[in-house]
Amino acid sequence: MTALSFHTDPTLLLCIFAALLLPLLSFGASVLTPRQYSWLVSFNAPLLLLVSAICAAVALTSRWNDDPALFQITWFTVGDQPLSANILLTNTSLLMLVVVSVISFLVHLYSTGYMAGDNDLKKYFAMLGFFTFSMQGIVLADNLLILFVFWELVGFSSYMLIGHWTEKLAAGQASKKAFILNRIGDAGFLVGLMIVWANTGTLGITELLSSGSTYQWQTAASLCIFCGVIGKSAQFPLFSWLPDAMEGPTPVSALIHAATMVAAGVYLLVRIHPLFTPMALTVVAVTGMATAIIGSLAALFQYDIKRILAYSTMSQLGLMVMAIGIGIVNAALLHLFTHAFFKACLFLSAGSVIHALHRAQLRAHHHFDVQDIRNLGGLRQNLPVTFLTFLLGGASLAGIPFFSGFLSKEAILAAVWSTDSSVLSWSLLVAMVSVSFITVLYTFRMIWYIFMGEARKPLPVAPVEPPVIMRMPVVLLALCSLWLVVSWNPFDFIGWLLPEAYYTHVAWVTAFSVVWIAAALGVSYFVFRTARFDSNAILENAFYVDAAGSKVLGKIVQISATTASHIDRKWIDGLIHGSAYAHITIAHITGWVDRTLVDGFVNGVAYLSKGIGAFTRSFQAGKIQVYIFWAILAIIIFLIWTLK
Amino acid sequence: MNTLTFIFYFFMLTAAASATGILLSRNVFKAALMLLVCLLSIAALYVLSFAEFVAITQILVYAGGVLVVIIFGIMLTSKLSGKPLQVGHTNIFAAVLSGILLFALLANFITDDVFAVPQHAVETQGALQTIGTNFMTAYSLPFEIAGILLLAALIGAAAITSFMKSKKV
Amino acid sequence: MMPSLQHLLYLAAFLFCTGLAVVMVKRNTIMMLLGIELMLNASNLNLVAFNRLYPASLDGQMFALFVIIVAVCEAAVGLAIVLRVYQHYQTSVPDEISELKG
Repeated sequence: MTALSFHTDPTLLLCIFAALLLPLLSFGASVLTPRQYSWLVSFNAPLLLLVSAICAAVALTSRWNDDPALFQITWFTVGDQPLSANILLTNTSLLMLVVVSVISFLVHLYSTGYMAGDNDLKKYFAMLGFFTFSMQGIVLADNLLILFVFWELVGFSSYMLIGHWTEKLAAGQASKKAFILNRIGDAGFLVGLMIVWANTGTLGITELLSSGSTYQWQTAASLCIFCGVIGKSAQFPLFSWLPDAMEGPTPVSALIHAATMVAAGVYLLVRIHPLFTPMALTVVAVTGMATAIIGSLAALFQYDIKRILAYSTMSQLGLMVMAIGIGIVNAALLHLFTHAFFKACLFLSAGSVIHALHRAQLRAHHHFDVQDIRNLGGLRQNLPVTFLTFLLGGASLAGIPFFSGFLSKEAILAAVWSTDSSVLSWSLLVAMVSVSFITVLYTFRMIWYIFMGEARKPLPVAPVEPPVIMRMPVVLLALCSLWLVVSWNPFDFIGWLLPEAYYTHVAWVTAFSVVWIAAALGVSYFVFRTARFDSNAILENAFYVDAAGSKVLGKIVQISATTASHIDRKWIDGLIHGSAYAHITIAHITGWVDRTLVDGFVNGVAYLSKGIGAFTRSFQAGKIQVYIFWAILAIIIFLIWTLK
Repeated sequence: MNTLTFIFYFFMLTAAASATGILLSRNVFKAALMLLVCLLSIAALYVLSFAEFVAITQILVYAGGVLVVIIFGIMLTSKLSGKPLQVGHTNIFAAVLSGILLFALLANFITDDVFAVPQHAVETQGALQTIGTNFMTAYSLPFEIAGILLLAALIGAAAITSFMKSKKV
Repeated sequence: MMPSLQHLLYLAAFLFCTGLAVVMVKRNTIMMLLGIELMLNASNLNLVAFNRLYPASLDGQMFALFVIIVAVCEAAVGLAIVLRVYQHYQTSVPDEISELKG
């Protein structure tokens, strides 16, 4: 680890800071542009992002394969504890910097066409710039606290962008849901940071990882931090916000909910994985496996293009998390990079389809839901370029040879194969193989329904390709999903992105996956050759995890409370009354005692159970004062625990 | 026990009693008046702790400014709904529990001998002058920021409430 | 003899806990603001009390002054929001404004 300062290497650091701060400048410029000149932002925002991407690329080339370096900045000092805001420069972080800024630039460019004529271009481009700035912050930060701050900022800009179309009710609800589910995960993240701070007194990642030994608290700390990852990367069980987030503009989905922000969780895991104990890693692997399976099964039964892509993103993220869980960080990172390109390509192509059909509908005065694949079909003649890019991106997602997705999945598969055989690694292998099979199925189904056959709801005006400014970024991204991005050899993942690996390339695993993918393609051709619109409610709603979470808990408590009070009043009260009436001949006094004391007790039990029910239900009631109470209680417990 | 000590304990008791009154009272207006009593007795405690300038600020800003704003707020909101000023209580158990727990915790720290220091009477000549100098030297940046904050709060409060006329709900 | 520092600290702790209880108990947003004012005053009392340990420096009193400034801003903006919420929801009972409910 070499330390850098402004005196030793001013150009590099200027480049880094330009890449980090130019998106922020774009945010400021967009905010300050007067409303009547708001068309200006669609020129200056992509321009600033282009400069930022070039700076990032210069920084990458100048430090590629150098030693990891740390640019040290002390932010402030509390007592004698300095809080550093170091910037970490490694191959990974610089590559991520370039990926984020390049994709962000392409999405900016695409948005100038897609969002043309929007009422609130200023807000849109401002938040897009702000998001890019915060994401670059996550990539570069070496301090967990700073990283957490940027982590929250990307959450905020995602919230603003999902709810960009404020007149859509669903968009507002989706943005709220995304924000709140992310807060649940981030609460765990914050607790994890506290545990780390209490035990080591530092939050610098490099400093934390330099002490090699394993301690007991690391399990708790790493699982708490993993909660944040679950929220941000849409892992089981906090994933339901991601499909809902598709209510936002499509370029936003491409940038935030496919390529970068949801990958931030995986990036964080990559950065801090030495902190994870074997037990925590097992939890990570199992969570990733569950997410991958749920996501791919749910994607198979969706009808909305964007929701298919969202569930597919979720399942690919699950694969990455799973790969980290069994310790193959390099392969996960490789899949992160290739996924960023091909999924952004798919989203932008889907955006082009939606855009083209919308414009055709506007001219034809004919309306149906253009995102529903049951209404589409036969678009390959009208939208040849979009068809081609969709095909390239889809092939990469499905893992067809000669595409980057094939190589990165191959890397994960080979690594899973070469780990020690145990029940866990075998089940992961089976899960991985079946997920890649289902991936082929749903990708084929999506492309086949959209582009092949005849138009199911023909429009009187034929849709035409979107303008060049929108086609260009998509074509660039589609080219980036070819195998050349990873290595020269289309069947060997060891290339310039993954120079050294401790597991070797196994020839027959590659052969097996080629055959497997071919079989999957054949199966999907036979299944989806004619359009089938079977519906499966369980899979369409992703096993109802979302609905269950909100309903079951409240319902169970309510039902048990009412049943308890019912049984109490009807049976036990009846018994008591009966005995009272039997005794009434003996003495009125006994009856009086019965009614007041014994009944009082029974009713008291009934009321108590009802009250407990109401009390436990009140945790979820959205009452601010109850929230204050729990916060204070948590603080008191924390104080007692730390200061004793 | 001399007169000064007596006055000290008297104001401490007044502050505690009026705070309890706020907690128990169901009338918002009475609670606001009891808060006034509490703030004034705290100001008296400041004087007795040789912080005259803070005491004056307390009386001017709190008793003169904040309390008036709060009373206006009470009158405006009660007029809107037409309901009486009575307030209900919720979460009594939770509040009592957390209040007692927190007090026990704090009291546990305060019983430490470190804090058993008597209040010395010291020469405080020129304290006001020192505060003034501090504002212009060591604390000049926070002082400026406080000014900006006040301006922002002023504009913000005016902006938030000014919607009320334009948008009748 | 003057009362010791401890007595002032006890009073401040008591005022803080009472303010907290007021914030949690009252079904009225203005009463919650009153509770917050009480808590701020309790912390101010602590600052002034601790200042007597170091009579040479007036840092405690300076901080108390800044706290008062911030409290004024909080009261102004807080009351403005209360009035606005009141206008919008026709209630000042915090439970009934349950937008946070999932």
